Amino acid sequence: MTTPHATTMPSAATPNLRHLETRTPRGDARAVAGALESEWIKAVTVRATGTILALALLGGLAVSWSVSTFVTDRVQYVADVGFLWTGVTAMLAAIAGVLLFGSEVQHGTLASTLAARPARWIIVLAKTLVAATVGLVLGAAGLAAGFGGAVLAGLEAGDTSSVATTIGWALLYTTLSAVLGLGLSMVVRNSTAAIGGLLVWAFVVENLFRLFLADEIARFLPFVAGNHLLSDGSGFESAEALAVALTRPENALVFGGYTLVALVLGTVLLYRRDTN
Amino acid sequence: MITVTHLTKKYGDRLAVDDLTFPVAAGRVTGFVGPNGAGKSTTMRMMVGLTRPDRGDVRYSGIRYRDLRHPARTVGAVLEARSMHPGRTARNHLRAAAALSGIPTRRVEHVLADVGLETAADKRTGTFSLGMRQRLALASALLGEPQVLLLDEPSNGLDPDGIRWLRDYLADFATRGGTVFVSSHLISELSMFAHDLVVVGGGRLLAAESVQAITGRNDIDVRVETPQPTELLEHLAAAGIAAEVRADRLILRGTTRAAVSQIAFDNRIHVLELTDVSRSLEDSLLDMTRPTAEFASA
Repeated sequence: MTTPHATTMPSAATPNLRHLETRTPRGDARAVAGALESEWIKAVTVRATGTILALALLGGLAVSWSVSTFVTDRVQYVADVGFLWTGVTAMLAAIAGVLLFGSEVQHGTLASTLAARPARWIIVLAKTLVAATVGLVLGAAGLAAGFGGAVLAGLEAGDTSSVATTIGWALLYTTLSAVLGLGLSMVVRNSTAAIGGLLVWAFVVENLFRLFLADEIARFLPFVAGNHLLSDGSGFESAEALAVALTRPENALVFGGYTLVALVLGTVLLYRRDTN
Repeated sequence: MITVTHLTKKYGDRLAVDDLTFPVAAGRVTGFVGPNGAGKSTTMRMMVGLTRPDRGDVRYSGIRYRDLRHPARTVGAVLEARSMHPGRTARNHLRAAAALSGIPTRRVEHVLADVGLETAADKRTGTFSLGMRQRLALASALLGEPQVLLLDEPSNGLDPDGIRWLRDYLADFATRGGTVFVSSHLISELSMFAHDLVVVGGGRLLAAESVQAITGRNDIDVRVETPQPTELLEHLAAAGIAAEVRADRLILRGTTRAAVSQIAFDNRIHVLELTDVSRSLEDSLLDMTRPTAEFASA
């Protein structure tokens, strides 16, 4: 690759000697729009986001089609199989959320971001809204792929009376997951540690806890609550677990609570820590 | 334009920046020099609100950085040239920066042209050389047409052509009324275009004055070439004159040609050259900072 050199004389270096103005609350509010646009550009102009979206789509399609085609010991319907991939999509959304902040720390761009906007709440708000949007898009993509795979495999629709409601809860789950990932990376400040911690917690630690904890306590674990947003009470739970299961709004509050704690803690640390 | 007042920062037991107070004038290039670990980078980070000082203040025409309405449009800072996502193109890197500060997108193309990166605009920054990253970092600082440029080692990675380009750009910027505050290890390079110098060592201010004032205080050394260096050194030492051997010549400090000539004559030592030599700015600054250097070479 040839390295371009500046062969032309430098352009006139003209400083804009305008009168300096101080910040105002109105100015800060207007700055949110620019911060949103900036965070969106950052999210969509790196390969990681596209890769995660592709995983959500292709993974959902593959898993859904495979289960529909090869699991033949019971009757399956699109209305059930369509949601199988959502738990993984939520994890992918959390990873995307981690990368929204973690990659800035990793590549040193956080310093220039905060130097441009010292009012750090503007950055937090923008990243939160973009994370939520990314989570929503990933959720929708995962669901579309999940339903699409089941339809391609030739399954019948099944009981669709609660599908629309479950889709709403599923999208809430993936949206909150992305924001949880963002909050976690603001606390941990290391993408690898945050992603590793999330995966280990969700797939190993919580399952271990569920073996030892009473159902009344286990129902408050974050991903137990999150995954129960996809269930209207039936499924593979034991009768004892079903007896103490939280309602979907309650599960949303639990998972949302963890998300809020991570985000608030991350914001406090963002204000308190020096940025190198 | 910039006033730094009693700036102090401590990390644990270590006082990284110790009560720094100095002005940075508009329309001038101010060099910020000091050995490794002197506190230069920490000071610059405090100047743009990235590091919170334990004490002290930095103000831009009386306004604190965090209170500026448009920080990136007032102060263009280049603190770390490698700070860019390797998977993002140069154009998108600048688009994101422009959007964040409410700067029109058309400025992206202007600054890419300013720094000579138009043909690399759609290449991922992970493929960039250090020099190209430095140029992109400068482009990002120029996006908002700032009136202050704060640069930490901006010529790192630039070839001689690029260094000259940067020097001319910064000098031109200051001539047009802008404020330039640039830290650099290349003292000889800085001395060619800096008007003022802020010298720090061990976190403390050692000097904050014009380049002229610093070089005006330089002693004159005496350079001697002789086929009898050992003998002459003995007689000079007996007379209390400090000498340094440099490339077959003796460099003497705190004396005059007349005094050296007399010593040589009295002891029948043949002298081939006896010249007054002005000490360079680099020598003066190295002398100033040597007692505080964390990692000094032998």
